[in-house]
Amino acid sequence: MSVRRRTDAHALAPDFARIPARRIIVVSPTIHLRLGPGDRVLVNAGQKVVAGTTIIERTTDPEFVEVGRVRGSDNGRAAGTPAAPGWVSSTGTTVERRRPPVPGKWWVGGDDRRGRLARRDNPRRIAGTLLYELNERWTAAAGERHEQIESPVAGVVTAAANCIGVSMKVNGAAIMASVAGGQPSRGYLDVPRLVDGELRETSLDVGRSGAIIVAGGRVSAEALTKARAMSIRGMVAGSLGQAELRDLAASDARQRAGLHLVPPFGVLGLDGSQRRPIASPILAVLAALAGREAAIVTDPPLLVLDVADVPLPELPPDWVRVRSGTHAGREGRWLGSAGLHRFRAGIHLEAANVRLGDDLQPTVIALADLERFVS
Amino acid sequence: MSRQPRAFFALDFGSATTSAALVGHAGGRWRLLAHAAAPSATDLDAQLYGILERVGQADRDLLDFVTAQKRAKIAALVADLSRLESHSSPPRQIAVLAGSRRQRRRLEEVAARAGWLVVGGSADADDPLALSRLVLAPETDAVLLGADGIPSGDERRHLPMLGALVSAAARCRPELAVVLAGGAAVQESDFSGTGAHDRIPQVAETPADTGPPDTGPLAPGEAEPAAAAEAAADPSEAPSLAAPSLPAGTEAAPSEGDSPTSVAAPQVAPASMPVSAPDGRDRVLLAPDGEAGHPAGAALQQVLEGLRARADDTRLGIARSVRTLALLLDKPVEAVEVGINGGLRCRAEPFGTGQLTVAASHAAMAAGSFAPPNPSDDIVDSILAWSTVVLDRYRLSDRLYDMRICPWGEADGEGALLRLAAAKSAVARLVAATPEISARDMPYVLIAAGGVWASTPPSVVALAMADLVRRPGVSRLACDQARLLGPLGAITDEEERQTMLKDLMEDVLLPLGSLILPSGVRQGRSAGRMRVLGDSANSDIDLQPGGIWAVELPPGQTAVAEMDFKDTVRLGGRGHRFTVEVVGGLGGLFVDLRDIPLRLPDKADQKRSTWEAWQRAMWSEIDE
Repeated sequence: MSVRRRTDAHALAPDFARIPARRIIVVSPTIHLRLGPGDRVLVNAGQKVVAGTTIIERTTDPEFVEVGRVRGSDNGRAAGTPAAPGWVSSTGTTVERRRPPVPGKWWVGGDDRRGRLARRDNPRRIAGTLLYELNERWTAAAGERHEQIESPVAGVVTAAANCIGVSMKVNGAAIMASVAGGQPSRGYLDVPRLVDGELRETSLDVGRSGAIIVAGGRVSAEALTKARAMSIRGMVAGSLGQAELRDLAASDARQRAGLHLVPPFGVLGLDGSQRRPIASPILAVLAALAGREAAIVTDPPLLVLDVADVPLPELPPDWVRVRSGTHAGREGRWLGSAGLHRFRAGIHLEAANVRLGDDLQPTVIALADLERFVS
Repeated sequence: MSRQPRAFFALDFGSATTSAALVGHAGGRWRLLAHAAAPSATDLDAQLYGILERVGQADRDLLDFVTAQKRAKIAALVADLSRLESHSSPPRQIAVLAGSRRQRRRLEEVAARAGWLVVGGSADADDPLALSRLVLAPETDAVLLGADGIPSGDERRHLPMLGALVSAAARCRPELAVVLAGGAAVQESDFSGTGAHDRIPQVAETPADTGPPDTGPLAPGEAEPAAAAEAAADPSEAPSLAAPSLPAGTEAAPSEGDSPTSVAAPQVAPASMPVSAPDGRDRVLLAPDGEAGHPAGAALQQVLEGLRARADDTRLGIARSVRTLALLLDKPVEAVEVGINGGLRCRAEPFGTGQLTVAASHAAMAAGSFAPPNPSDDIVDSILAWSTVVLDRYRLSDRLYDMRICPWGEADGEGALLRLAAAKSAVARLVAATPEISARDMPYVLIAAGGVWASTPPSVVALAMADLVRRPGVSRLACDQARLLGPLGAITDEEERQTMLKDLMEDVLLPLGSLILPSGVRQGRSAGRMRVLGDSANSDIDLQPGGIWAVELPPGQTAVAEMDFKDTVRLGGRGHRFTVEVVGGLGGLFVDLRDIPLRLPDKADQKRSTWEAWQRAMWSEIDE
């Protein structure tokens, strides 16, 4: 492997430049981790984090809670009455010791905070975020159960806000995907032997626990279920069907409803939802980084690689891949423009002559069905 | 040469397709010289280079004439020529909150017509936590809190809570735009501390009409731009080359390093004028309630469009161009546009012959997309209902998803059939959302626009229009093949747009043919006869109910169709005998004797066979 030179599309021909370009890797992308009411961030904007740092505390069972008056602002005391315990007078100046309540502020409450211990054997202790204030009484989204989320990647926090989310600029490079499911996760990259570009389900065993597995052209719902059961952290495939995504989301929802915490599991489809093999330049990058730590991010769909200098494969400058249509997934060399060509059903499209694989004869393929790779 | 260029690029930057056209002034009028469409990821300069090269190969003298440069290098012309641009606004989401379900549904309809992706909740059905989730979601760009002008009890008691909730969300997310509609405006005081909404007024500003751009000193013999526009408006005074000036809204070609998608906002027409807060602080937008305007909700729709769309939005540009076309033709004009991120249905109709006022209505809807994000089961089923390809729901969902991420992929064969079904389903949603347009008579011209029709055979586009816009009458069918209506709609000045469209009308509207669509034809026996008397061909057709026929009538030709029905039918008016003038097109003359509305078998396979039979009649290459 060596760092290859840039493919200059214009140097070949203006027609070649009209083929949509696909980046093999993107450097330092920005990712987002979304939050909802009841969730809080544990980092600040500008903070550097490493993979594994706890950055979010999520309330897994948030409910609407009427908090009442909250100390720390004037709304808790009537005019003329002494300051609430949250207010400290020293040297003649009133100093506010706690931050005033604002929407999104973390709030901890429950029976023990209200002096109602006698009412229950096991007093409820709930926490969450404040929602809004109405008639000087606050409401909150809060619950009893919380889970802490670790950062799947190293980077710098660019924005962080309770109830909203965390944005981070990632250190390192990433491979872009088209579709993602599950949660952000992290593991070592495992590139098992693929048979005809596909992964055999029997290859999934507990020995691969903690891995992100490159699973070939398509990953089935059964393989996803099995992988989660084996504590595998994620799978990367050429395509990921909408049915599999729905199954995964339903499975996630069931586990959350059962308050059963499992390790995060994510899945990526690099090219879309219809079956096609992983592009050879991408597969070459993955193979070169096998065994290294990687992370699956779902917003945007990315496979983040913990290395800044990714070894890129050497490709002929006229290398193209068919991304859709009857030859989807095949790769070859661009021979030249075929002009306006009449395709099936009498559709006229701009086309190119491409020598696919070891074919002796060139194939005419619509320009829009092709992609070229840029580094 | 010392003359200024008499040509410009009209560019339509769609979400999936970038369409470029070269418009030049030659032979005393503006003409469409060449156009091309390509996936939006394609290098724009390569696309423009290709267009100029084609024109140069066909007629180098013409290229030299319109560019006012002798044998200039094509690459230099790509950089030099001015550009008139329109852009598809990116999809944005609005959270609609109301006190009651009734009000929520009303507001959701209006927001959807304004092109927003809509999520909604009402205080009587959802708990405050669910409502907070809606407004705090990162994909939500704006919140619409609305009530009747005078809120009824069921709404009024929830308004304080909703106002507090939205105000709190606005403090958490300062970038959130807030619209208080109707009686919800009383909650404006809740936002006095949020402070950070000072950015909202930018959509409320009226871009100044700066007139034509400074095109530099005039060459000897050239007229002043204003005078040129006046002269161009009067055909009798516009024969010379001195007349044309580039339309306002054209930008000088970008200098090196400029983004090709840069926008000259003040020079293009404003999207709509939102109503700002009366005290001028503009922390939130105050808007009319969901019933104001004609049709109901039009006033609020205008505010929401102004908040969502760019000033040079393509769909709003098409609606403006259609209004101008209606003025020029002095006839009703309708357009249906379908794209990857939404669709548009619009109609403009002069109040009377010779009137300079038009009644216009439009809905630019995100739901009008042919491959919407996260399609619901209803949408998937609707596409399956239009499809002649046998697919299950999951496979169709996969293909829709891939169509969304690669809209130009697999445009031939089965992909073309699927794309057609998706487009028809999108048009059906647009038609269902615009009952006020469907209630009007068949338009004089019906225009199909949008990237989804780009590669579809003309007769199939005509069939799709006949399938979906079903009202008795006679209409001319056309296609905005070069996608010029959007960029031309970005021209600020109505008069200038009229001048430009007057010249370009025949080039912009690619004729598909004429559609004759009677209603009340009884099934089961011959409905009568029709004779088509034209310059090149005369036909005598037995009118069989339940079918659609295409009669060959080439573009540019006119004919007279005489119909003699056995029963009384409706075709504009009621009667047995009708004589109408029809024009030719790429598809010819279409005579549609199917039911209005279409009656189809209940069983899926029979329905598919019926579609296939009608489709095959218009698309003989389908089995290639």
